[in-house]
Amino acid sequence: MKKTSVQVSAALLLGFALIGGACGGRDDSSSSESTETTASDSTEAAFIDPAADCTDYKGTQGVTGDTIKIGTVRPESGSYAIYDNVTKGLEAYFKSANAAGGLPAADGKKYQVELIKKNDEYDPAKTPALVKQLVEEDGVFALVGNIGTETNKSVRDYLNENCVPNIALATGSTQWGDANAYPWYISGLPSYATEANAWISYLEEVNPTAKIALLYQDDDFGQSYKAAIEKAIEGTKITLVGEEGFNPLAGSTTEASVAKLSQSGADTFIVGVGGTACPLTLSFVPTTWTPMTMISVTCASKTALALAGGKDEGVYMAQPTLDPADPADQTNPKVVEFATQGAAAGLDEAQIQGGIASVGWGFGSMFALGLKNATTVDRAAVMNALYSLKDTTFGLIRDEVTVNTDGAKDPWAIEGFRIVQRENGAWVEKAPVTNEEGKSNSFAGQ
Amino acid sequence: MRDFLQILLVGIGDGAVYAMLGLGLVVIYRSTGLLNFAQGEMAMFSTFIVWTMWSLGLPMWLAILGGMAGGFCVGALVHQVAVRPVGDPHEKPLAVVIVTIGLFLGLNGAAQLIWGTLDRSMPPLFGRGQVTVFGVAVAWQKIGAVIVLGVMVLLFYLLFQHTKLGLAMRAVASNSESASLVGIPVPRLLMLGWGLAAAVGTVAGVFIAPNLGLGTNLMQLTLIFGFAAITLGGFDSLVGAVVGGFVVGALSSVMPRYITIFEKMPLAPAFILILAVLLFRPEGLFGKKQVTRV
Amino acid sequence: MSATATTGASAHRSPGDWALKVAPWVVLFVILAIVPFQFPSFRVEQFCFWMTLAIAACGLNLLTGYNGQISVGHGALFGIGAYTTGILITEFGVPLFGATVASAVLCFATGILIGLPALRIKGLYLALVTLAVATLFPLLLEQFSAITGGSGGLQITSPQLYRGEMRERPIRLESPVAGLENDQWKYFVFLGITVVIFILSRNLIKSRVGRSLVAVRDNEVAAESSGIPVSQVKIVTFGLSAAIAGIGGSLFALDQGQLYPSSFTIVLSIYILVAVVVGGAASIIGPAIGAVFYGLFSDVIVQQMPDRIQPARAVILGVLLILLMLLAPGGIVGGFRTLQAKWSARRSSALNSGPDPIV
Repeated sequence: MKKTSVQVSAALLLGFALIGGACGGRDDSSSSESTETTASDSTEAAFIDPAADCTDYKGTQGVTGDTIKIGTVRPESGSYAIYDNVTKGLEAYFKSANAAGGLPAADGKKYQVELIKKNDEYDPAKTPALVKQLVEEDGVFALVGNIGTETNKSVRDYLNENCVPNIALATGSTQWGDANAYPWYISGLPSYATEANAWISYLEEVNPTAKIALLYQDDDFGQSYKAAIEKAIEGTKITLVGEEGFNPLAGSTTEASVAKLSQSGADTFIVGVGGTACPLTLSFVPTTWTPMTMISVTCASKTALALAGGKDEGVYMAQPTLDPADPADQTNPKVVEFATQGAAAGLDEAQIQGGIASVGWGFGSMFALGLKNATTVDRAAVMNALYSLKDTTFGLIRDEVTVNTDGAKDPWAIEGFRIVQRENGAWVEKAPVTNEEGKSNSFAGQ
Repeated sequence: MRDFLQILLVGIGDGAVYAMLGLGLVVIYRSTGLLNFAQGEMAMFSTFIVWTMWSLGLPMWLAILGGMAGGFCVGALVHQVAVRPVGDPHEKPLAVVIVTIGLFLGLNGAAQLIWGTLDRSMPPLFGRGQVTVFGVAVAWQKIGAVIVLGVMVLLFYLLFQHTKLGLAMRAVASNSESASLVGIPVPRLLMLGWGLAAAVGTVAGVFIAPNLGLGTNLMQLTLIFGFAAITLGGFDSLVGAVVGGFVVGALSSVMPRYITIFEKMPLAPAFILILAVLLFRPEGLFGKKQVTRV
Repeated sequence: MSATATTGASAHRSPGDWALKVAPWVVLFVILAIVPFQFPSFRVEQFCFWMTLAIAACGLNLLTGYNGQISVGHGALFGIGAYTTGILITEFGVPLFGATVASAVLCFATGILIGLPALRIKGLYLALVTLAVATLFPLLLEQFSAITGGSGGLQITSPQLYRGEMRERPIRLESPVAGLENDQWKYFVFLGITVVIFILSRNLIKSRVGRSLVAVRDNEVAAESSGIPVSQVKIVTFGLSAAIAGIGGSLFALDQGQLYPSSFTIVLSIYILVAVVVGGAASIIGPAIGAVFYGLFSDVIVQQMPDRIQPARAVILGVLLILLMLLAPGGIVGGFRTLQAKWSARRSSALNSGPDPIV
């Protein structure tokens, strides 16, 4: 009885599968609206050749008439919802561009951007279904400004296999340096390793025998810092005298870790954590310990530092972009443009000054640059354009920072930092911008 | 040695907060005999009320009183609407567990609907200042937490030992049937117990929120620490909750710093405590022995 | 026709009634068979996820619904199954479904281990311990990131031929049937396993062992005195329940191809419990209905709502749970049964009182 019922239902199932296959067809709505293109007709040997690398290439999916559909995935809820402001900035950029007639492309047309947002709560377990929905159901041309390291990693194989561009990732993980294996990904931030290298270079200058206490977020983001620091201090007199990992999911604060590090004898404190944990870490530093403190660039926004309870005064950071809240930067034309057009597109004063929306604004502008430089409006052509940038700039990147890319040899757009110290809510320059063109991948530790 | 002290003090401060959460759990356990898995969410909800009043410009202490009053109403309402109609928790444990989980989901979702999903920042009640004692820095916030806990315990003691109301509540806790026979309004007192527990939770929330950031997941892990505290102390013992809170706070601060296997799991010592106590001494350190009814 | 169908017990075996009984199943199977051809591949993968949830809920139902032991921690067992599968495939090259079998065995052993203390810790206290397990589990995954990949995730890969060379690539279930795409093939394989598991657990419940499960739930002392080895029954039930949850987790791993600790938080445990309770604890098909209900609700309906009001999902679920406990503790299946009973009572009373039956 047991066996037969199992067998019967198995047989039924198989039968029904065949019936189902016969009577219903899958509507392939996404492919119907796209035309198959073979290869972009660029003159040089382009970085990406879809004819060789893609099996079912849909180079113009998501482009209809003069509209381009763009998808983005971000945390709209959950503990990382603060980064939703990145997407607000991205949206403002596209709104502003649409109002001005659209984004110009090489074919002489101007394209209106339709941005479709999905909320993955910064959870890589939720990202794949949403990204697949964007690609298969909504039929987007590309993804722009996706937030999070693990979230982006969770769809890396899928997007690269299907030849869908993922542009201006809102993460600086060293993994995005592997453009050979994953050419359809390009980061919109500098590599975390390059940032860490900038810290150590500055330390070598001002305190060659520094004793570092490192607090790092125990995930890819923080480990990128840790590995790069370990690599950078090799052969110097700088030592790592204490290190503590912080697991943001463990339900505790960094307080006990800071307490331990404060007793390590360190004279330098590097805070390689993000989110609200970073400014709170500053507030936990005991008054008995007065190290030189370096913070992650992800923590350096006005919004975040407001949580430090005044302990942000005097901290150092490596800074690649302009800060809309810094009086010294507010007269810069890039900041003026962002502030006026961003406000017109619906950003409020707190968002404009906050230092997070401006990052998203930069991502929108990076996509616009790719579209403008592309030989045709085609997925591979846009990626190839972004992988061959020459002495250009976008978003709110500091004017002294040079932007160059060259395929897998140099996949990082932003590779320059200056060192600044916080004084009365503004940043004071301590060391000018050093551009490490093409070297970012070499800074990544193991 | 000094680093150990520094870390231990952090743990004692955290422990005071776990004890506050534990006090609420004990009050509910005493009155209605159930483990309230929604206690953390009730505290989160009323902490948001505090935040709202504070950000509207009320002074912090008034906002906290307002939040406690709000929490009291939420707790009382929850008892009347959801908990009471389900019945005896020890006869229908599944139904009660499901109801508290329903409350957990409902309150969490409601908070997200009302206050959005962004973490709010709340200033620490006692500021970010520190004092240095024997070369070890202690935050005023930690000292404040211990003092506030002391005041709360004192108030509970006065309530339960020296007021008619407290006496009646104790009568209900020890035997609700005979209590109702002598004319004590049992349901109303149970409702009061729930309200009180939620109000107490507010204070715990006010101390946790400045450090973890006030979000809707404020209490999800903290609740387990609270449960560990009362498991160790004894589910029905207020003193036990306090002692348990300090022990759990100290262990979960110190052990991850010195024992590699706990490095990323400050929750693990709390879990081991729960399991070991339930297995070998279910009544905890200060609790009354449970007589299982057949 | 209407007269014969309603005149009492003998009519039950009439061909008309048999057809009525079988018809809904046929309809169900036809729907299940057509579904994967009507939706894009990401949806089909979601359906596969619902099936893994249904399997885990089926396991929890044995334990909680039929045996009366509450677990708020089945998400952790689901996770153990998933990670075992992932690690066996990636590190040891075990074939895909071989890893599923191994996961089931390991989870069975784990279930036995948890079942032992559960003999002493009961009711609400067992709920507390399992809740703590569920909360701790993702942290355990972080702690042992050397094997699990921690928050960086575990990519489940196997050596595959790609661009002319052997490389570690994400696993995939290659469809051997022409005309079936990979995801559709996966769907039918999963559906087959799900159906088999539900049929096996139905057979178990209808057997003598199943009756002793229920006897232990209803009254341990009475069960003991009628010769049922209560402790053994409880421990083995825990083991079986864990094994089934582990199979669900293993299939989840095969469905996703990558695992993250965030998939296995307390939320998962709660949702498995929700699937059991909403569908109907102590009914065979209930957990499957609950899982599909939950899937439809959270992956389809909620996604249609504006982002700002999406948290309403939790409110609706919470209120629904409380209402169910207060009004219809039997869940959807229980409610349906009550309606059916009322209806047949009305029908028989109508038969007795007058000659005009309502059909």
